[in-house]
Amino acid sequence: MTTAPAKEQFDVIIVGAGPAGSVAALLSARAGLKVLLLERGEYPGAKNVSGAVFYGSAILNQLIPNWWEQAPVERYICRRDIAFMSPTTAVALDFRSAGAGYATAPYNGFTVLRPKFDRWLAAQAEAAGAFLLTSAVVDDVLRENGRIVGVRVRREQGEIYAKVVIACDGVNSFLAKKAGLQREFHSHELSLGVKEVLGLDPAIIQDRFHLSGNEGIAFEYLGAITEDVHGGAFLYTNHDSLSLGVIGQVSSLVERRKRSYELLEGFKAHPAVAPLVRGGKLREYSAHLIPESGWSMQPKLYTGGMLVAGDAAGFCLAAGLYLEGMNYAMQSGLAAAETAIVACQRGNFSARTLAIYRKYLKQRHVSTDFRAYRHAPSFVNGPRLQNLYPEMVARGMEQIFRVDGAPKQKILPLAYRMVRQSSIKPGQLLHDVYQVARAYLW
Amino acid sequence: MHIAVCLKYVPDPSTIEVDPLTGMIDTGRMLYMMNPADESALELALRLRPPTGTVTVFSVGPVEADRLLQDALAAGADAAVRVWDDSLGSLKPTVTTILLAAALRVKEAPDLVLCGGHSVDRGSGTVPALLAEHLDWPVVTDVTQFEIQAGRIQVQRRLARGARAESEVALPAILGLETGLVHLRQASLPNLMRVKHTPIPLYGLEELGLSPQDLYFPAMTLHEVMPPRPRARIMFSPDPSASVQDRVAQIMSAGVAGKAGKIMDSGTPEQQADAIIEFLRQRGFLEQPT
Amino acid sequence: MVMTTHEEKMRTVRFRVAATPHIVVNSEICRNECSVHACVYVCPANLFVPLDDGGILFNYEQCFECGTCYIACNQEGAIRWSYPDGGYGVTFRES
Repeated sequence: MTTAPAKEQFDVIIVGAGPAGSVAALLSARAGLKVLLLERGEYPGAKNVSGAVFYGSAILNQLIPNWWEQAPVERYICRRDIAFMSPTTAVALDFRSAGAGYATAPYNGFTVLRPKFDRWLAAQAEAAGAFLLTSAVVDDVLRENGRIVGVRVRREQGEIYAKVVIACDGVNSFLAKKAGLQREFHSHELSLGVKEVLGLDPAIIQDRFHLSGNEGIAFEYLGAITEDVHGGAFLYTNHDSLSLGVIGQVSSLVERRKRSYELLEGFKAHPAVAPLVRGGKLREYSAHLIPESGWSMQPKLYTGGMLVAGDAAGFCLAAGLYLEGMNYAMQSGLAAAETAIVACQRGNFSARTLAIYRKYLKQRHVSTDFRAYRHAPSFVNGPRLQNLYPEMVARGMEQIFRVDGAPKQKILPLAYRMVRQSSIKPGQLLHDVYQVARAYLW
Repeated sequence: MHIAVCLKYVPDPSTIEVDPLTGMIDTGRMLYMMNPADESALELALRLRPPTGTVTVFSVGPVEADRLLQDALAAGADAAVRVWDDSLGSLKPTVTTILLAAALRVKEAPDLVLCGGHSVDRGSGTVPALLAEHLDWPVVTDVTQFEIQAGRIQVQRRLARGARAESEVALPAILGLETGLVHLRQASLPNLMRVKHTPIPLYGLEELGLSPQDLYFPAMTLHEVMPPRPRARIMFSPDPSASVQDRVAQIMSAGVAGKAGKIMDSGTPEQQADAIIEFLRQRGFLEQPT
Repeated sequence: MVMTTHEEKMRTVRFRVAATPHIVVNSEICRNECSVHACVYVCPANLFVPLDDGGILFNYEQCFECGTCYIACNQEGAIRWSYPDGGYGVTFRES
């Protein structure tokens, strides 16, 4: 049996067939480049976990018009809740829109199941001409004359060469580290998400969440839901199942010696959540790391012959009101592909040429968004905003609404007393108000 | 030497989930894989192949089975054949083996056919024997080890209760292999890339020279299904007068004394087959001829 | 069932187990230099088992490949971590 020559040449090798990698492959292949898309799983999506709400509909619509008509989507999001929890109480901000862009094309967000969605997306890249190879784990980059010229797949004769390598290999990005673009992470920079998919009859989902047709909800929870671990929880509706999970900062899980899957059980048992998940049958349990620190954990985004995109580049916006990753993964994947296309046109793959990646990231609002919210993650994902204040709000509402014969209290003295009873110092409170304002208002 | 390996695309048992209310299997959640016993059979064939020999893989199944055959080519098989006809539905081993036998005859007849002894889905373990019937070749099942010497194969078999047997057959022959003997090798990167778009030749009934009537094989007729009759359970206690060693041995065997059997090592195959049928008849497993 | 034990959760996940482990724990370091044993608490698959002698026993077969143990471990070199061979390891179907 003859074997193909070892040194096969591609224009672009993209490592990881998630949302970043597959759209990068799609765009590069459409531009006529010879593209190899490598995926370590048995199929694209086999290793991928998100909540998962995909907020990048408008972005994908530019690539594949009316993509939702052919893609495996679950429900479009027409209702979002942010709930503040104490162990027995919940106070929620309920947003519902039948407005343009929410309940009409291109829709604002869709729930998806990643193994199905990612598989479909990679197939689109394949249809555009990219060569998708699954069951191929990449261990290292190949260098020549100080520039990256390919990757090593963990198989016999695994060296494979390309003009540009785009690392979309996820939060742990071994490739960015091997290329010297990323440092080792600290445990306070990452959060662990554990998740369950609970099967439930579509009719029950519609009744329970007041939905019709393919409408869906995205609920997010802050406060005492993760006990004293810094983090939050979520609950989303799929077509015939619910996706729910708990997110906890790794360092905080270690300090408090809490097991994430036990917090998940506590979440499902909360009096405000239990009626929503009742009757659900566990279909799959999963876990994944989330690069929650955004701006501060970004690697160097390019070097000679290589670009980094998606979670591998820390493009995940986890800042209280926002919990978005797949859309930024796609935006950065597209920016990386645009960079690779220009580099191939110029025939120059030096770090200096690839520096236009920065420009494309700005044009696609990736770096601008992350810069704008650079102060949010460390603070928003901190203990006071994620857990303490939400719990105080929930407890406060409990006091305000309580009718037990005792004299009614006005809100300000009540709030004053609650702050006094808590461990928060007045100075801290003022500082936090300023921080919130700086993070979200200007 | 030309070796043929029969591969089956099976659902991964860990992904077969039965809904407790409806009793239905959730097919949407099933993932497929190469039957593990067939995987060892393929690896052994690749190791055994002499420099001038070939390994050809066969599978009976719909287009999804191409993936399995491409994996076999990537691992180093020389050729692959998929057998299927859109008129075929869910197949019983009796029909699968008629198709396989026809495909083996259409290609250059191999010297050796390796099969996984049991599949993880149906698991009847009948394919090697039925294939032998259709090809009229010798077959050895439950094979754990074998060696080829001068046109003959020395075979080691696993029998019940840990017993081993050694036998020898002449080529061409069919072997049914145990699961987990060896792991299939990882394909090299160039091979993996090469097979990705390799078309797999498809043999339908016409190419195999078969008509739908040829697929009829009156092996068994199901008359009636009955629940098993409960048997009285006798709690075993060891003989107190026996030595410690014997008592431990009795406890370990849970009181199951080896049933008196008979080793048939003489007579023609026909005489031996008659003896087995007579044995089954005496014990009421077969109806008396009318 | 809505409320489930950890064993019940793990039974819903499909793993294709590779022949060789992709994570190696140097129990010598766990025994002599680590008093925290963060891995035992953070692993979402509960694969790290503390031993009586202070060492750590690790099962790689049901690993989610999330990397949390590696991030949480505060002892240099105690956990050696890579991904399993291509096509092996965890295979999510619905997450």
